[in-house]
Amino acid sequence: MAETKGKNTGRSLLHALFSLILPGLGQIILGEIQRGIILMSSIVSMGLIFIWRIELAGRHEPNFLDAFHKSLELKPVFISLVIIGLIAIWILNALDAYLHTKKGRRGGFNIFFLVIVVFFILGWEISEINPYKMITKAPEALTPLSRVLWPWKAAIAHKMETVSARAAVLSPCGENPPGRPKEVPGKPYIYVEPTCGELSKLDKNNKIIEGTTLTVFGKNFKPNSEVNLWWIDPIGNEFRLRQRGEYVVTKTDSQGNFKIKIIMPYRLMPPSAEGKQIHHVEARQQTPTGAVVINDPLKLTISRMIETIFMGMMATIFGIFFAIPISFLAARNLMSGSWITLTIYYMTRTVLNIVRSIEPLIWALIAVVWVGLGPFAGIIALSFHSVAALGKLYSEAIESIDPGPIEAIQATGATHLQTIMYAVVPQMIPPFVSFSIYRWDINVRMSTVIGLVGGGGIGFLLVQYIRLLDYRAAGIAVWFIALTVAMLDYVSAEIRRRFV
Amino acid sequence: MLVVENLSKTYEDGTRALRNVSFEVKDGEFLVIIGLSGSGKSTLLRCINRLIEPTEGRILWDGEDVTAADSAHLREIRRKIGMIFQHFNLVKRSSVLKNVLAGRLGYTNPIWSIINRFPTEDIELAYEALRQVGIEEKADKRADELSGGQQQRVGIARALVQDPKMILADEPVASLDPVLAHSILGYLEKMNQERKITVLCSLHYLDLVQKYATSVIGLRDGQVVYRGTREDIRRMTDREFKDIYGEEAERVSAGTLTGGRENG
Repeated sequence: MAETKGKNTGRSLLHALFSLILPGLGQIILGEIQRGIILMSSIVSMGLIFIWRIELAGRHEPNFLDAFHKSLELKPVFISLVIIGLIAIWILNALDAYLHTKKGRRGGFNIFFLVIVVFFILGWEISEINPYKMITKAPEALTPLSRVLWPWKAAIAHKMETVSARAAVLSPCGENPPGRPKEVPGKPYIYVEPTCGELSKLDKNNKIIEGTTLTVFGKNFKPNSEVNLWWIDPIGNEFRLRQRGEYVVTKTDSQGNFKIKIIMPYRLMPPSAEGKQIHHVEARQQTPTGAVVINDPLKLTISRMIETIFMGMMATIFGIFFAIPISFLAARNLMSGSWITLTIYYMTRTVLNIVRSIEPLIWALIAVVWVGLGPFAGIIALSFHSVAALGKLYSEAIESIDPGPIEAIQATGATHLQTIMYAVVPQMIPPFVSFSIYRWDINVRMSTVIGLVGGGGIGFLLVQYIRLLDYRAAGIAVWFIALTVAMLDYVSAEIRRRFV
Repeated sequence: MLVVENLSKTYEDGTRALRNVSFEVKDGEFLVIIGLSGSGKSTLLRCINRLIEPTEGRILWDGEDVTAADSAHLREIRRKIGMIFQHFNLVKRSSVLKNVLAGRLGYTNPIWSIINRFPTEDIELAYEALRQVGIEEKADKRADELSGGQQQRVGIARALVQDPKMILADEPVASLDPVLAHSILGYLEKMNQERKITVLCSLHYLDLVQKYATSVIGLRDGQVVYRGTREDIRRMTDREFKDIYGEEAERVSAGTLTGGRENG
C-alpha cells in the first residue's frame, strides 16, 4: 500500500515536472489531450504575444534585455501583471498535472479563468484601450456629436438680403486721391477719411507694420443692425476685414448711420502690381427677409435617400427575378429525382453559398471597377448578394412545403397547373413575400454601406460630408438613414406579420 | 363495382407494399381495410386513384380500366372519386371555402380556376357541402384556424362537392379522438347510405370497424389475409384479429386509444 502510494507520488511529481518544462505536457501524457493542448497553446501564444509587445515597446533598444527594461519603464502595470499571470498559470498548470495523478481529481476551470484574465490584459494593451483619454478628451467630441445629433441648423436657412455701399481708397498716397463717392438720397452710402493711405506691411522679422488708420462713415443703412466691412483689392479679390484676428463688425445707430476706424490691411501684392492702386472698402449689411430656403445638404440628402431606397428596391427586384428559377434548382425535394438533377442541385447550392459568403461590400468594390462609381454599381453588388441569399431562402421554403395538399388536389382530378396553383403556390407565397420584403429592408440598409465604397446612394454623400468635416450635413444624412431604416423595418415587419 | 385484380406495388427502394391483392367492392358498400401500420393500406387506397402508380395488376371501375387510363381520362375518373386523408391535407393558409372549392377543380375550366374564378353553382355547392357537415359559418376562416375535427369535416366537404360515386378514406379518424371519430365516420356512413356512395376506408380500431363496415378486408405485409362480411367481423375472434395484426396485438377498445397513430 505504502509502496503504491510512494510510486504514485513519484509519478505525479514526474507529471508535474513535465508540465513545468512544457505547460500542458503532463496533461497530455495523462491522457487529457484536449486540456493539455489548450493549456500548451494558450501559454505559448501568450508568451509569444508578450515578447512581441516588449520588442515593440523597446524597438529602439539594441537587445531584448534593454527592450524589457524600456517597456517596464513605459508600461510597468502591464508588464508586471502579465508576468504575475504567466507565472501563476505555469504553477497552476504543474499543480493541475500533479493533483490529477495523485488524487485522480480532474482539474477545474480555475486555470482557464486565469488564462482568460491574462488574455484580457494582453488584449487591453494590444488594442490600446485608454479610458483616461476617453474621459479627458470627451469635450472635444461634444461639438461634432452635438452637430450630428441635432443638425437641423444646416438644413434650412432664411433668405438674406444684402445691402452694400463702397468707397475707393488710394494706396500708396499720391496725387489725385479719389474723392467721396456720390451720394444718392435714400440709398446706403459710405465714405472714408482719408481717401488714401499705406497698406499694412511685414518687416524683415515678419512683424506687421500697421498701415494707415481710416475712418469709415456710413449713412442710410438699416438702423440698429450689424454691418460687416469688406476689402476689395485692385484685382477684385474680396475678403472680410479683420483687425487683430477678429472680424470687423459694427452696428448702425437708430438713424442707420455708423462710424468705425479700420487699419488698412496687409495684402501680398505681386511685384508687377507695385505702384498706385485703387482699393475699395465695402460695408455690407445682411438682413433676413423671412423667406425660408432649403439648404443643399437637406436637398441632397433627400434626393440621395430616395436614390438609396430605389437602389434597394431595384436590387431586390432583380434578386427575386433571378432567385426564383434558381431556387427551384436548389430545392432538394424537387431535384432528388436522378443523379443529374442531384448534381445540378449540389452545384447550385455551392455557387449560392460562395456568392452569399462574399460580402456586398466586396461585390461593390468589383462593381465600381466594372461600371464605375454610382448607384448602378451598388445595385449590381446588392443584386448578386440578394440572388444568393433569396435563392437559398426560397429553396428552403420550397423544401418545406407540405406534400399533403398536393396529393389532395391531385386526387380531385385537377390538372398539373391547377395543382401548382392550388396546392403549391398558396404555400409558397407567404414565405416568398416575407423573405422578399425582408430582403428589401436589408438591401436599403446595406446600400447605405455600399455608398461608402462608391456604390452611390446616401452612403456616398455621407462619406463626403464626413471627409469635409461637415458634421451638420453628415448629421442630416445620418438622421435620414435612421428614419428610413426604422420606417422600413416597421413596414416590413408589419407586412411579414400579415403574411405568415 | 370496383374490381382490383392482382395488384402489386414495389417501391423504388425495393419495398413490396402490395402483393397480388385482389378483391371486389359492390356499389354502395362500406369497405373497411384493416391492418398494421406498414401493411399497405395507404398504398392500396392511393393505387385505386393512381396517386401511386401500381407496378402490376388491374383496377376496373364500372367497367373502365383505371390502370390503363391516360392522364385526361384519369382526371375524369379521379373527379368521381373523393378522397379523405388522415392529416386532412388542407391548404392551411387558404380559406375553408377555397379548400372546399378545390374539390370542383376537375369540373372547372382550368383557365378560370387558375385566376380563382368559380361558377356561382360551384360556390353554392360548396356552401351546401359545408352545411351538410355543419360548419357553414366557418367558410371564410383560414383552414388552420379550425380544430382537427372541423378540418376533417372540411376534407369531407371537399370530397362531397366532387359529387363522388366513391370515397377513399385513408385513416380518416386516426388523428382524432374517439368521440370525433364517431362523428366523422357518421358523416361517411350517412353519405354511404343516403347517396349510395361506395366508401373504402382504412381504420385501426376494431370496434369502429364493427360498427361501420359492411365488409372488411385485412392486409398484412401487402397481402390480403382476411375477408369478411359485416356479420363475420361481428363474430371476429381474437385468433383472426391476431392473424391480421400480428401475434403481439391485443384486442383494444377504441375508448382507450386516442389518435396519433401513423398510417401505413
